[in-house]
Amino acid sequence: MASTTVEPRRPSTAPAQRRGVVGWFDPRGRRLGGLAFIVNRLSGLGLVLYLYMHLMILSLLVQGPGAWDTFVDIALSPPVLVFDVVLLVGMLIHGLNGIRVGLVGLGLVASRQKALFIAAMVISAFVAFVGALRIFGGE
Amino acid sequence: MTTQQEAAERPAAGSRAIPAFVGQVLSGVVLLVLLTLHMIAQHFIVPTGLRYYEDVIAWLRNPVVIAVEVTFLVFVTYHAITGVRAVLFDFGFSERTERRLTAVFWVVGIGTVVYGVALLAAILNAA
Amino acid sequence: MTDTATDLRTTRFVVARRNEGDDPDELRYDTFDVAVGPRTTILDALVAIRRELDPTLSFRHSCFHASCGTCGMRVNGREGLACVTPVPGGAEVTVEPLANIPIVSDLVVDMNVFYDEFDEAGRPLVRASESIPAADTAEGIAELGRFEDCIECGICLSACPVAGSDPRYVGPAALAAAWRLIDEPRGADPGPVLRLMDDEQAAWRCHLAWECSEACPSGVDPAAAIMRLRGAAAAARARRLFSFGGNR
Repeated sequence: MASTTVEPRRPSTAPAQRRGVVGWFDPRGRRLGGLAFIVNRLSGLGLVLYLYMHLMILSLLVQGPGAWDTFVDIALSPPVLVFDVVLLVGMLIHGLNGIRVGLVGLGLVASRQKALFIAAMVISAFVAFVGALRIFGGE
Repeated sequence: MTTQQEAAERPAAGSRAIPAFVGQVLSGVVLLVLLTLHMIAQHFIVPTGLRYYEDVIAWLRNPVVIAVEVTFLVFVTYHAITGVRAVLFDFGFSERTERRLTAVFWVVGIGTVVYGVALLAAILNAA
Repeated sequence: MTDTATDLRTTRFVVARRNEGDDPDELRYDTFDVAVGPRTTILDALVAIRRELDPTLSFRHSCFHASCGTCGMRVNGREGLACVTPVPGGAEVTVEPLANIPIVSDLVVDMNVFYDEFDEAGRPLVRASESIPAADTAEGIAELGRFEDCIECGICLSACPVAGSDPRYVGPAALAAAWRLIDEPRGADPGPVLRLMDDEQAAWRCHLAWECSEACPSGVDPAAAIMRLRGAAAAARARRLFSFGGNR
């Protein structure tokens, strides 16, 4: 049988259809790992914003007890306490899922990633619930 | 630009730089400890939590607290900035843009830590 | 067994179309009403559309039984092989080409871009022990022989959210291929491939979304392979660090 030659390829000039940055956060069709990716990314970005907000608010301490204590009284109002609960949830999700990312991401328990994510979310929910009770209970 | 043209801009593989992921894992482990300590200090040391001015200032006058909080600031800033860098790099920028962004992030990160330490000094001086 | 007339229902197929000269930033969609039964697959429906409604519809297929990897596409936003994907329930089905790979025409994507990533990994899937010297193959074809689970369908790359925004990412398939060599070198030297993939645009770009493994129709589990590749890369770096500049 005569052999044939493979012809050189011509590169495609057509663009690919990409979901882009919006696609990172689109939960449609996602399974557990994809949802973990979304919540980790959102909680991380939210915590970065909180970090800088926290540093700015701390500058009120330079202005003395009047400014700081006034802020604290505002911070104890129910709408701000809701924010505290959201912050707690964000820290728990990011921290506990981060344990999964660290362990799985270094190849240590690659086959257990789903179980680790579920465990992280269950623990987060429980601690957030207890934390919310304490936050709104005035403690 | 076609996907192949975009792919051609990819930097040579086999980078010798320590992967940012490893830094994130290590700083994350440290933060699990430091953040827990920070939350315990803020909410469980003083009966009503560290809320009002006098309690906060008394707490901050402790050198051990200062050392722990500054360490916390360094690690949380590193983890935060590296995380934002990782998110931005997923946009598919060129290698040159990524190097420039990395330089900007170093400035922002160091600036954040310097700001935090200066703020702490200002708070204690004003008290 | 074939579906009887009483089993049939009409489903509207909304199919992505692109021809040369179309606006590269837009896909247009054509609709086709097709009679489908309980056992009708997406590929069955596309063949029927091309045969009876629109002979210009472009799509790839070959084996009809999920072993060639040619018919990968997105159905209602989720990746799959058209030949084994049943037509979903519901009045309407959207069919689109794989994402993150250049579109040639309609549902056909340029798989060369996908294969190029395997070239970068040195095509470590080719193993001398599994080739058949007596086989009479066309020039250049022998090196393309494969005997692995991966059928190179491109579905994993389409499902990956990182590849969705960064075309420079090597992608799950090539990384999984690299891991197969590293895990079982069979006389080959895995060092160069490990060093190649120990890179921010390769193994360390994955963010553990695991969509590639969920979408893979062939049980490759590329995400787990990437994680094990990372573990090997981290271990190699640690060995170099503690051997004070060893040669791996």
